[in-house]
Amino acid sequence: MLDHHGVEQFLYREARLMDTHAYDTWLELWARTAHYWIPCNGDDIDVTRHVSLVNEDRPGLEDRVQRLKSGAHYAQDPPSRLSRVVSNVELDQHSSPDALVVHSTFNLSAHRRRRLDVVAGRVTHRLVLEDGQVRIATKKVVLVDNDDTIMNLTYLV
Amino acid sequence: MTAGAPIRYADLVLDDRVHDSVYTDPQIFEEEIDRIFHHGWVFVGHEGEVPEPGDYRSRELGRQPVIFARGDDGVVRVLMNRCTHRGAMVCPYERGNSRFFTCAYHGWTFRNSGGLVGVPHPEQYGDSFDRDALGLRPVPRCDSYRGFVFASLSVDVVPLVEHLGPRVLAEMDIAGDLSPSGRLEVTAGVHKFGYGGNWKLQLENSVDGYHITHLHRSYFRIQEERSGRDAMRFATAASPALVHSLGNGHVAWDLSPAGFGGAAIERLRNTPGWPRDYYDLLVSAHGQARAHEVLSHGAGHVAIFPNLVIIASQLRMIRPVAVDRTEVFIYPTLLSDVPPEMNEERLRRHESFYGPAGGGATDDLEVFERVTAGLRAKVDPWIRIDRGLGREVEADDGTVSAQITSELSNRAILGHWRRVMSGEASVRLSPRRSTEE
Repeated sequence: MLDHHGVEQFLYREARLMDTHAYDTWLELWARTAHYWIPCNGDDIDVTRHVSLVNEDRPGLEDRVQRLKSGAHYAQDPPSRLSRVVSNVELDQHSSPDALVVHSTFNLSAHRRRRLDVVAGRVTHRLVLEDGQVRIATKKVVLVDNDDTIMNLTYLV
Repeated sequence: MTAGAPIRYADLVLDDRVHDSVYTDPQIFEEEIDRIFHHGWVFVGHEGEVPEPGDYRSRELGRQPVIFARGDDGVVRVLMNRCTHRGAMVCPYERGNSRFFTCAYHGWTFRNSGGLVGVPHPEQYGDSFDRDALGLRPVPRCDSYRGFVFASLSVDVVPLVEHLGPRVLAEMDIAGDLSPSGRLEVTAGVHKFGYGGNWKLQLENSVDGYHITHLHRSYFRIQEERSGRDAMRFATAASPALVHSLGNGHVAWDLSPAGFGGAAIERLRNTPGWPRDYYDLLVSAHGQARAHEVLSHGAGHVAIFPNLVIIASQLRMIRPVAVDRTEVFIYPTLLSDVPPEMNEERLRRHESFYGPAGGGATDDLEVFERVTAGLRAKVDPWIRIDRGLGREVEADDGTVSAQITSELSNRAILGHWRRVMSGEASVRLSPRRSTEE
């Protein structure tokens, strides 16, 4: 589907779309059936019994983007200024020809109203081909501080 | 710190307005910690958080660290998190399960019920050394209702049931009776977030009916598009939904007049699968009348002074950190003995609105920071809380009620706050006085 360089380019592109609040274009990266997951209070919780920071299927993702574009999601008005480094990109050995499992890390600086937050974590993407395009089927973000107080995580990570 | 001139609290909270220093003055904050959080009933946690012997949570009462633990004897206690030897915190973790708490400094070891069981090299202590007298200190007052555990660092408080009052107890009954077995499970984790602003902003906001249709419209409009229902109708100025002042600064919404509950009952009955199964379980457990009463109550919002909010599917604990810094811990609740899909549905719905990445509560926090920034403008230092003033109705039991968008909620909370801060409220006063004094 993609070689290592192609995978990196895909993740960098996703990072740029998130950094620049290009919500619709970011949404286009996702598969029709998708799962976006940011666990809370731990890294491998049972979502049937435990709350997450984000646990969304495709309609939930669309709601999130619609809210961010509404002009009335005040926690992103004004939007945070974002810059992230994506690194340590690693193709998982369990990848198959039609589904790539990709591990990466990110370090994000988020500035808003005189406050500069640092957000860091490990990400696992599952990338699939859909209509000849690479799409995100699942994305799991393990934040280093997912069991600590987080002030505002309304931008995209 | 050096205290300034005595603060005249009666001049700061009036019937129709409140002075901004109530939210911004560091001296007032210090006095709040002392009078409200170190001398009154404070919510500590729910027994459903510590279901097994040895389960514990570290908590704070105001600024004082405590351990909320279920001992091996099955009893839930609130113990001061301080070694009786040289004062080190004996439990450094936020949560866990342990039979013992061992001090890292000299190894004094305490049972999870508090008793001192281990003192290394005791031979240098004399015969008068009384190990039994040196257990972890229990909080001076501790009591619970339906699993909701409260503590007071002062013995000089009214009994808990009197502090809460019958209407708050009834709200706790409803929160529990949403489960067929009457039990809440509080084991689903916690959303921890915070804001740069005063703690009372979150307490008042939790029962502010006026902000829903404006501040949360980006969230509810999407809900409306998806469901085809008018999701904000309950919080318009024409809504028959009510807000009640229950006394002692406690406030509850009542959405049942807006038909919320009736519609919910119909949806449960008419949806095969877990909704119908849940309805049947609830009716067979409580009888149809009580089941309908509980379901009709709608998505309850109950603010329990000073630091607990019960919302249909969550417990919210408010932690004052500084005059301009607050942490909010939201514990989604699961219902015991219901179809698992129902609890999953509760969690998914909760996540979409609450928490630091949620689509609703984050806008509340944003506004608390805007309020805090705005209050630096001092030409007119007053904050208006007069919406619906004079339109309240008082019931025979002393409950004062108003239309849901009335600022009765603010007047009830701040009226009680004024009485506690000025030293008038060591006994239960009638709710009437909270709005008309």
